[in-house]
Amino acid sequence: MIKPRVGVYVCHCGTNIAGVVNVEDVTKYVEKLPNVVTAKHYVYMCSQPGQVLIKNDIKELNLNRIIVASCSPRMHEPTYQTALEEAGINPFFFEMANIREHVSWAHINEPERATEKAKDLIRMAIARACLLEPISKMEVNVTEKALVLGAGVAGITAAYDLAQMGFEVYLVEKESHVGGHLALLNQLSRSRDASEILTSLTQKLSTPKIKLLNNSEVVEFTGYVGNFKAKIVQKPRYVNAKCDLCGKCEDVCPINLPNRLNFGLNQRKAIHLPLPNSYPPIYVVDKENCNGCGNCLKICENGAINLNDKPLEIDVDVGMVIVTTGFEPYKPDGEFGYGKYKDVITQLTLERILSKNGPSKGELVTPSNGKSPKNIAFIMCVGSRQESCDNQTIKPINAYCSRYCCSSTLKNALLIKQNSPESNVYVIYRDIRTFERGNEELYRSCRASGITFIRFKQDVPPTVEKTSNNQLTVNVKDYLFKVNMEINVDLVVLVEGMVSRNDTDDVRFKFSITRSEDGFFQEAHAKMNPLNTFAEGIFIGGACQGPKDVEDTVLQASGAAAKAAIFLCRGKVVLDLVTATVDEERCTGCAKCVNVCPYKAIELDETKELVQVIEVKCKGCGSCSSTCPIGAVQVRHYRDKQILAMVENILPS
Amino acid sequence: MDLRKKNVLVIGGGVCGIQSSLDLADMGFNVYLVEKEPSIGGHMAQLDKTFPTLDCSACILTPKMVDVARHPNINLLTYSEITNISKGDRFNVTILRKPRYVEEEKCTGCGICTEHCPIEVASEFEMKLSTRKAIYVPFPQAIPLVFTIDKEHCITCGLCEKMCEAGAINYDQKPINMSVKVESIIVATGFNSFDARKSGEYGYGRYDNVVTGLEFERLLSAGGPFGGHLARLSDGKIPKRIAFIQCVGSRDEKSGNLNCSRVCCMYSTKQAVLAKEHVPGVDIQIFYSDIRAFGKGFEEFYRRSENEFGVKFIRGFVSEILEDPDTKNLLLRVEDTETEELIDREFDIVVLSTGLWPRNDIELMEKTLNISRSNDGFFAPAELQLSSVIATTSGIYIAGAAEGPKDIPDSISQASAAAMKASISSVRTHIGGITDD
Ligand SMILES: Cc1cc2nc3c(=O)[nH]c(=O)nc-3n(C[C@H](O)[C@H](O)[C@H](O)COP(=O)(O)OP(=O)(O)OC[C@H]3O[C@@H](n4cnc5c(N)ncnc54)[C@H](O)[C@@H]3O)c2cc1C
Ligand SMILES: Cc1cc2nc3c(=O)[nH]c(=O)nc-3n(C[C@H](O)[C@H](O)[C@H](O)COP(=O)(O)OP(=O)(O)OC[C@H]3O[C@@H](n4cnc5c(N)ncnc54)[C@H](O)[C@@H]3O)c2cc1C
Ligand code: SF4
Ligand code: SF4
Ligand code: SF4
Repeated sequence: MIKPRVGVYVCHCGTNIAGVVNVEDVTKYVEKLPNVVTAKHYVYMCSQPGQVLIKNDIKELNLNRIIVASCSPRMHEPTYQTALEEAGINPFFFEMANIREHVSWAHINEPERATEKAKDLIRMAIARACLLEPISKMEVNVTEKALVLGAGVAGITAAYDLAQMGFEVYLVEKESHVGGHLALLNQLSRSRDASEILTSLTQKLSTPKIKLLNNSEVVEFTGYVGNFKAKIVQKPRYVNAKCDLCGKCEDVCPINLPNRLNFGLNQRKAIHLPLPNSYPPIYVVDKENCNGCGNCLKICENGAINLNDKPLEIDVDVGMVIVTTGFEPYKPDGEFGYGKYKDVITQLTLERILSKNGPSKGELVTPSNGKSPKNIAFIMCVGSRQESCDNQTIKPINAYCSRYCCSSTLKNALLIKQNSPESNVYVIYRDIRTFERGNEELYRSCRASGITFIRFKQDVPPTVEKTSNNQLTVNVKDYLFKVNMEINVDLVVLVEGMVSRNDTDDVRFKFSITRSEDGFFQEAHAKMNPLNTFAEGIFIGGACQGPKDVEDTVLQASGAAAKAAIFLCRGKVVLDLVTATVDEERCTGCAKCVNVCPYKAIELDETKELVQVIEVKCKGCGSCSSTCPIGAVQVRHYRDKQILAMVENILPS
Repeated sequence: MDLRKKNVLVIGGGVCGIQSSLDLADMGFNVYLVEKEPSIGGHMAQLDKTFPTLDCSACILTPKMVDVARHPNINLLTYSEITNISKGDRFNVTILRKPRYVEEEKCTGCGICTEHCPIEVASEFEMKLSTRKAIYVPFPQAIPLVFTIDKEHCITCGLCEKMCEAGAINYDQKPINMSVKVESIIVATGFNSFDARKSGEYGYGRYDNVVTGLEFERLLSAGGPFGGHLARLSDGKIPKRIAFIQCVGSRDEKSGNLNCSRVCCMYSTKQAVLAKEHVPGVDIQIFYSDIRAFGKGFEEFYRRSENEFGVKFIRGFVSEILEDPDTKNLLLRVEDTETEELIDREFDIVVLSTGLWPRNDIELMEKTLNISRSNDGFFAPAELQLSSVIATTSGIYIAGAAEGPKDIPDSISQASAAAMKASISSVRTHIGGITDD
């Protein structure tokens, strides 16, 4: 082995580090350690001059190991590794000592001890660096196809963008219709008919580049970036494309069921069209509730129905995945009389009521008696911005703001007020967050239209009750005018927030992605990388990443498509082989490691009585090496001896 | 497909233009990134930390800036402006490369020239709170790290030329016009902060201790004029009471901007938390009408600022600020909408949360590009809901704060969306058939 020649670079990070740690002292100390050829400190190592410093030293001093003592490797490890590569040495001859998050920020009031700790961390890093080995790269081809999971507005947008670039896309949708929540809305704020928008989206699905798989789920997902394999199961629809929407089947079907998509406000048959403007425009049989009478079969003139259809299993190879699974509306759990009083509804139900293709054909009526309500109250932030407080009415579940709902509420409030100016509309709110372009004007229009705004504080939330004469009333303390108000109302609309879907974990484990504290999928970096995940080749967009409206959903979806397009256009990815490796001399073939590998990347070769690593599948997680009883499997770059060298260096000798 | 022969122009090298350029270049396009100023980075380079994670702004921006510099598919043209665009089968673009009077290929960024230059000029990057020399880089992490002579102030003493070991100084450099043909254009020219002088009642420009959000950002910054030591501008004293006034130049008929600027609630909250960290015990009051903490992690941050850091949020309208001529303290007249009281309170520093406005030179860009603007002055999307990045002229895309106020993650998402649409428009001839704008 060539003798290590180490260069150490201590970063000030402005004053982030140098304000606490005595960088000069650290540098002087480090300089004298064995194998260290040079040690320097500089104000911003990540800046261009900082990197030039490293590159020049590598060339001039013939360095072969580089240590940067700065921040967390999460952001800048790749930055420095590229610098090493550019200077002509293997990027894995690099080690970072985190003296910001782990030192200067953590021990802000103890500069002396912080300085000592920084020295320790760097000494450990040097010990490991001396034992590092070069890691090679492997280039693999990228399958020029993508899988988009979820055909809401986000999924359709992303799929169509990639299709326009010429790539084939499998668009997998759980439901029998596409459009997600957009399909249920009446209007969007800044007024456009939601069904018009849906139509302009669904028109895009006719391109042969997009293979829409409705009623489908990904049941198995394996592989690695550029070369994923998905097994998709498509449940039968029992009706094929010959269906011309004549609707005769529906007339003869004997089964009546509450219509789930209209929140039970009307009924549908077992054979039904999910929504009047459903895409694909084909009926579907709800097989769970179908009694198999065959009435529909007999009456269908097109022979479109086959009640014996079987599920289809479809295996696809794709290079990239975009997850666009959207959200779920928060379901009030009894608060504000929801579930107890029929005329306490959620805003999504209101959208259905107001929609021309909804249960009352767009006429505003109350669920209890079908009359048009005169007094309507909206209660906002239901299921959002909940902080723990003594009051039990609000459960501390979702701390975040749901972002879409203020503007959406005002849109509906104004619509109702404009359609029947004699009605009394109350908006009971905490803050009005009409931040989107143009929606401040919507807010002004609402104020001018005579809608009553009542501000409440979370610790004194409104209550909804029925009085003895069966009158629905809202009691609320107006926080601005300091008065208690008792408002008789005919309809209460709870403005529900967005929550992460209850199958989020299923998707998360299948695709090896993570969730943020708020439950939604986590982006690779909250500020700089909102569309990537920590899993390479898997991107997120739309409301599955966090609550947002249609406009922002579309932007993220296109952005995520761009991220996928980068790999698809290049056609190749380069993988670092930080993977497990087997010492064939020592392996006994016990195969304990085969069982623990979550990626199925280790196989037993029975003839040789040895295990073998499939390098492209291995993610370097280390499960195998920690299981092997004799240490015959090691992960490159994290070998036992490299880790132990660090430990030994910190223990008192 | 071979995209290297396809050219895309990105105008503006803020975080948004940077992201669009990187995405397109990574796909394989040949990108021309044109930035007016000597360095890329835009406003984000001026920020101290970013909400809601309090990531140090320079730390997370620098790697992307460096990526731009080293990307083989990006032609970075800083200190350059677009002078003409005409449309044939492609866009013919004329770019003016302003003379730096320092040769870009020769300058090593050593900075010896600056040390010797005798001329001090107020630094634009530091919001004129400190000075730079006539030969300068705007900030230490500038990309490219090449010095520029500010000819307006240079006295041609010849010192820098004498000192420069690389022989990079060239006082006779002439402007160069270059022309390129591109398939599509992304406009990412960003915003200007509202000029707080227009809200005369707050005394900005007259009172020393009334500062804008961007100025306060520099005051907090470790790399800023006072090295992150938070002090008053009038007397250098450490403040004990700081007030923030929200919606200055936003949601305000008088100033002419009805829209919300989307970031100022959060940047004030961030700055308040940072000020508390700088000066433990400082009393901070934020006067607002609605706190708009709507993004991922924002509400949580807002709650923490109140519960954990003790920042006070007061729903109230500040009608006027008066300065005590002796102490330079500021007297705020506030209508507290919660208590309906008229209160007078004294503060040491008042920060105006100035809104995000269209750039002052946006009309010029509008003409050069031949695209429309909305009634709020920002560039207008052709279609709001289904893609706000598509401008009113086909082949041109808008993103980031040029399309309307927005924060960094939203700018970055939009930047990638614009890159997607620009690439579709650029390869359209390859696949034929499916186009939509
Ligand atoms: C009451 C209400 C009012 C609103 N009003 C407005 C408004 O006025 N203006 C506005 O801009 N926005 C409004 N919105 C927000 C708008 O609905 C969302 O921005 C938008 O629907 C988000 O789109 P998405 O594609 O990300 O998610 P979704 O619409 O939720 O779509 C996700 C899709 O993925 C599918 N899916 C989920 N999991 C899987 C899986 N594992 N496999 C396969 N498929 C899966 C779902 O079935 C669904 O089709 C409103 C929302 C609500 C609830
Ligand atoms: C005080 C303050 C604090 C903030 N804090 C945060 C925060 O903590 N977190 C957060 O997420 N956001 C924050 N923001 C918002 C953030 O600054 C913006 O989201 C971001 O800067 C937008 O990036 P952009 O690239 O669109 O625009 P800009 O940053 O404005 O960049 C535009 C670039 O284009 C260049 N340019 C302009 N015109 C031309 C032309 N004609 N030709 C060539 N180049 C041109 C400019 O020189 C500039 O480099 C803050 C904003 C302010 C004012
Ligand atoms: S957008 Fe408005 S209604 Fe929705 S959670 Fe946020 S503040 Fe509440
Ligand atoms: S020539 Fe100009 S830029 Fe150079 S040192 Fe003299 S004043 Fe400064
Ligand atoms: S973000 Fe807050 S301060 Fe800024 S304009 Fe909107 S409401 Fe006002």
